[in-house]
Amino acid sequence: MVADTAETAPRAAPARQPFPGRSRLARNGSLAGWTFAAPALIIYIAFLVYPALTSLSISFTSWNGISPTRTFVGLQNYAHLIHDSVLQTAARNNLIWALVTIIVPMALGLALAVAVNTRIYLRSLIRTVLYMPAVLPLVGVGTIWGWLYQPAGVINDLLGDIGLRSLSHAWLGDSTTAIWAITVPAVWVRTGFPMLLYLAALQGIPVEYYEAARTDGASAWQRFRHITFPSLRATHYIVLALSLIDTAKVFDLVYAMTNGGPGNSTQVMGTWMYFNVFQSYSFGYGTAIAVVITLVAVVVGIPYVRSQARQLV
Amino acid sequence: MTGPSRRRGKILGGTAALVLITVFWASPVLILLTTGLKTAADFGAHGEMSIPRTFDFGNFTSAWDVGQFGVSFVNSGLITLVKVPIGVALAALMSYSLAKLKINLRRTIIFLMLLGLTVPIFIAVVPIFTMLRQAGLIDNIWGLLPPYLAFGLPFEVLILTGFFRRIPHEVIEAARIDGASELSIFIRIVLPLSLPALITVAILDAVATWNELVMALVLLSSPGHRTVPLSLLNFQGQFTTNFPALSAGILIAILPILVAYAFLQRWIVSGLTAGAVKG
Repeated sequence: MVADTAETAPRAAPARQPFPGRSRLARNGSLAGWTFAAPALIIYIAFLVYPALTSLSISFTSWNGISPTRTFVGLQNYAHLIHDSVLQTAARNNLIWALVTIIVPMALGLALAVAVNTRIYLRSLIRTVLYMPAVLPLVGVGTIWGWLYQPAGVINDLLGDIGLRSLSHAWLGDSTTAIWAITVPAVWVRTGFPMLLYLAALQGIPVEYYEAARTDGASAWQRFRHITFPSLRATHYIVLALSLIDTAKVFDLVYAMTNGGPGNSTQVMGTWMYFNVFQSYSFGYGTAIAVVITLVAVVVGIPYVRSQARQLV
Repeated sequence: MTGPSRRRGKILGGTAALVLITVFWASPVLILLTTGLKTAADFGAHGEMSIPRTFDFGNFTSAWDVGQFGVSFVNSGLITLVKVPIGVALAALMSYSLAKLKINLRRTIIFLMLLGLTVPIFIAVVPIFTMLRQAGLIDNIWGLLPPYLAFGLPFEVLILTGFFRRIPHEVIEAARIDGASELSIFIRIVLPLSLPALITVAILDAVATWNELVMALVLLSSPGHRTVPLSLLNFQGQFTTNFPALSAGILIAILPILVAYAFLQRWIVSGLTAGAVKG
């Protein structure tokens, strides 16, 4: 980590002496600080914090979104969550989503990073192309893969070409395979990020360590185990934390590829919230789903937030 | 074989293997090209993967017209061009305060802002929708601006505060002793020193804004107000079986971001790694 000079240097500016009669903020020297922070803070509170709290209050009501009055129903929406079978499917799908789209991209990203980090030509071009899916609009990714997965699409054609026609399948039309099929483009999109981070971490390991280990007769596995792996611990943590935060936000790929179907089998919490609010006009119930996803995401994300905040304070 | 040439052979072999993996990785996009450039007859006879017999841009012109991508490029471009500079400016001001100025409740503000990283946009969908309906800003691309700004701030503040903290305090202190105001220190010293971080944050923010779906889906409805992701969704619905036209439409929709990425990838790569590794 970079040594921090701000911590030790005096903070008080000579031009800002305490001055009786000025406001409290001016006297304690925070006026400039607050003035600079205020515009962003106001936008953030008005359009993120306040809406979040409003959602919490809406979640205790029954409301069709149009009528001027909301009926307070207490915890009824939350009680309904337990009896909603689609919500259970959605929760299970979120869990599948989290497991597959965190673990597979991490493993694949590490493998690709190690491969790209060997002595090769065209390294930066290869790295650029491997990361490319991550910048595409997810709706575009979903549309591409939705087309590859069609019954007469490329994936089934390829299976036929290699003699596995028996495996060809209506991948997105069958409720047992659909959610798994959607995780594949998610892996395609998400592998680039861990690859970049692992690659940066690998390149940060001094070559001398490996040279010294080689002179001492360490095997390739020993070098990986005792030099490479310990150096990647911070990266594992960052990738895992950011992936955990991201996984609660799943929406675009499911919406673009299956619209939650067939028979609601690919609903995730985000899409099921959307359908409840904007198709069934159950604003109260839909918002309760949003509150639940948000609570889970925030609680899971807090260790990461604290570790980042500690570095900035 | 001699030592150096054997080494070169090894490098070539490794490169070839990785190029194969990379082509495979990029194949979903490459297939769009080989399909989108084909006539329907060529596609019917030879499928997706063959090289087109004749290059035919007819799919692109019809996809462009039917998908109304022109309108959505303008809409997505406008909201991105307005949102990103405002968002980065607001975040930079706040980050300077958090990194270098005296401000009470610093810890609380930092924690509150970073907590926003974890908050899914779903939580704001219904209140923002009703707020904007009251303000008459439903089905108006400018209604996207407030939520996009608010949800973009946590990441921008995280990266910029981390960067500003590494500016030596002496530089700022010296300017203060010379009587410079905080605003002029910020504009004349901090911003120029931070140009790489500002550009990276702006690029990443632009990509996220251009690609955003949930808020746009909730707030926009009429065809003339669609952003690129909405146009593509709508287009996909109309061309489920005409693969050459569908491929052409997808390519049109992702082309601006691919071109931008090709030119700006260095900033994206360095920003992601610096931001995530050092925080």
